[in-house]
Amino acid sequence: MKTKYLLLIGLALVLGGLLGGCATGLTASSWPGVTADKNNAYIAGNQFVYAVNLQTGVEVWRFPAKASSSPFYATPNLTPDGQLIVGGFDHKLYSLNTQSGAQNWVFDQAKDRWIGGVLVTADTIYAPNADYNIYAVSFTGTLKWVTPFQADQAIWGAPVSDGTNVYFGTLGRHVYAVNAQTGREVWEQTVNGAILGSPVLGLNNTLYVGTYGGELASLNTGNGQILQQQITSSWIWTGPAQDGTDVYAGDANGMFYAFPMTGAGQPWTQQLNGAIIGSPLVMGTTIIVATESGNVYFMDNTGQNVRSVALTGKIYATPAAAGTLVLVAPTGGGNTLVALDLTGAIKWSYTAK
Amino acid sequence: MWETIIVNPFTNVLLLIYKLIGGNFGIAIILFTILIRVITHPLMASQIKSSTKMTQFQQSKQWQDIQKKYKGDKEKLAQEQMNLYKELGISPFASCLPSLIQIPLIFGLYQSIMRALAASPAQLLILTRVVYSFLPISNLVPLNSQFLWMNLGQPERVYLFGFGVPLLAVIVALTTYVQSKVTMPASTNPGDQGAMMNKMMALYMPLLLGYFALTFASGLSIYFITGNLIGIAQYALLGKVNWRAVIPGYKPETTVLARNK
Repeated sequence: MKTKYLLLIGLALVLGGLLGGCATGLTASSWPGVTADKNNAYIAGNQFVYAVNLQTGVEVWRFPAKASSSPFYATPNLTPDGQLIVGGFDHKLYSLNTQSGAQNWVFDQAKDRWIGGVLVTADTIYAPNADYNIYAVSFTGTLKWVTPFQADQAIWGAPVSDGTNVYFGTLGRHVYAVNAQTGREVWEQTVNGAILGSPVLGLNNTLYVGTYGGELASLNTGNGQILQQQITSSWIWTGPAQDGTDVYAGDANGMFYAFPMTGAGQPWTQQLNGAIIGSPLVMGTTIIVATESGNVYFMDNTGQNVRSVALTGKIYATPAAAGTLVLVAPTGGGNTLVALDLTGAIKWSYTAK
Repeated sequence: MWETIIVNPFTNVLLLIYKLIGGNFGIAIILFTILIRVITHPLMASQIKSSTKMTQFQQSKQWQDIQKKYKGDKEKLAQEQMNLYKELGISPFASCLPSLIQIPLIFGLYQSIMRALAASPAQLLILTRVVYSFLPISNLVPLNSQFLWMNLGQPERVYLFGFGVPLLAVIVALTTYVQSKVTMPASTNPGDQGAMMNKMMALYMPLLLGYFALTFASGLSIYFITGNLIGIAQYALLGKVNWRAVIPGYKPETTVLARNK
């Protein structure tokens, strides 16, 4: 009889453990976000936010001091007054001191996770949350406004702004424009798939969004009208990028696209090895694209002179620029951050201990 | 292996049901539970048959005589018990096998629910890659995780005067208790170890599942509640439900064997 009780209790514990482990594993899974200022690179990667010296690749600080039970994956962003803003899966938006990693303030009024990075303007942080809202927060962490309406779904990508309006996409296949001062809706538009990344502003009042439905849509920022829909071979994960001439986007089949933003110029494509999950990075006339297969591609802005470097692990995160360095955060390859120059040479790598 | 055999098919069936019914994930979980119960019904019927036989065995004069005879010799008692099992065509594990099968199903379903709801980019990327080609994933994502007052991807609470009341956990515990009681084989033999085990199960299982409902995503609670109600219905269909057992202080009048004799 005793054995039966023990067996029953054992089974219950196993089941509970499996379910608990499963839940934890699922919630704690994503890829890191990276940004940099002139001194440090900042990585939001799982249980910590790390600052790494750009010259040496040595860790400067990490936040919090003890591993957080709730992870950080949203791309960190810097304010003009030197704060590092990063959201966590614990529904909190943190401001950290870039020199020491000390916490300046916490904004805790959101109801869900911070998946995407924030937009920082001269005086406001526009933070998108999975609770279907955008929060406008001051540099002291006080709420200026929250969108007075709920978007149709979670917001995973950082918004963009032209000074008048703030633009963002949702998982519910909608693009919204809201007034930058009040958060009131200006227009909304439906596209063909969920928007997982950030939109990008182009020339002549045009907004570009990549969709999970496999298209790059351009919209009029004035009224939301769809101007063009470029069909891609698979879904576009993170948002596109632009260099003033072309808008660039990669898809899950590893196809990389350049579409001219004006009538001049020709579109071009490059087939790369591995799914393109992160956004492209534009550094002058060089376009950098990282793929899931662990390759980092460098090409000029005509799609020529393609060269690549293979890193260990997979790359899902958008690469970040730091002066002449390209910062790449691989997943599962051992290194937390790798710094490359524009020739593809590895300058240093950092592994979080 | 686990992913290929259990989690991925479960996720796809859930998504297929979700698509067919027009985008209600709560209903999809309920229909999926019914489907699982229909598929495992032969096992359930066999379990009922086996536990009835086991109850009869525990109350049989033969077994009671053997118990008296070999009171001081545990080894001989066990040997005689096995012989009697063989003679009467009873498999001691047949009654608990269907319950054990539930464990991987619960685990698989929980993973499938969390996977289908894809609450982070990495989860969505995984989901995108495990969905079979006949399902238009870009049209299905994101799933509507709201069902009645619940977010199916989060533990459930009903807020009353600022306090979060775990209503679903209470319903899970209650339906589990009712199911255990009304489907428990009647026994009057005070030494019936099986009956004692069943009584303990009727007490602990509601607490255990209630705790799971309190802690884990409410989609799992929907599975538990639906499963409990269907379980009662399955027993009722086979004429094995004893509604009086839920009345406090209820005591069975006679043993099954005595009545058959």
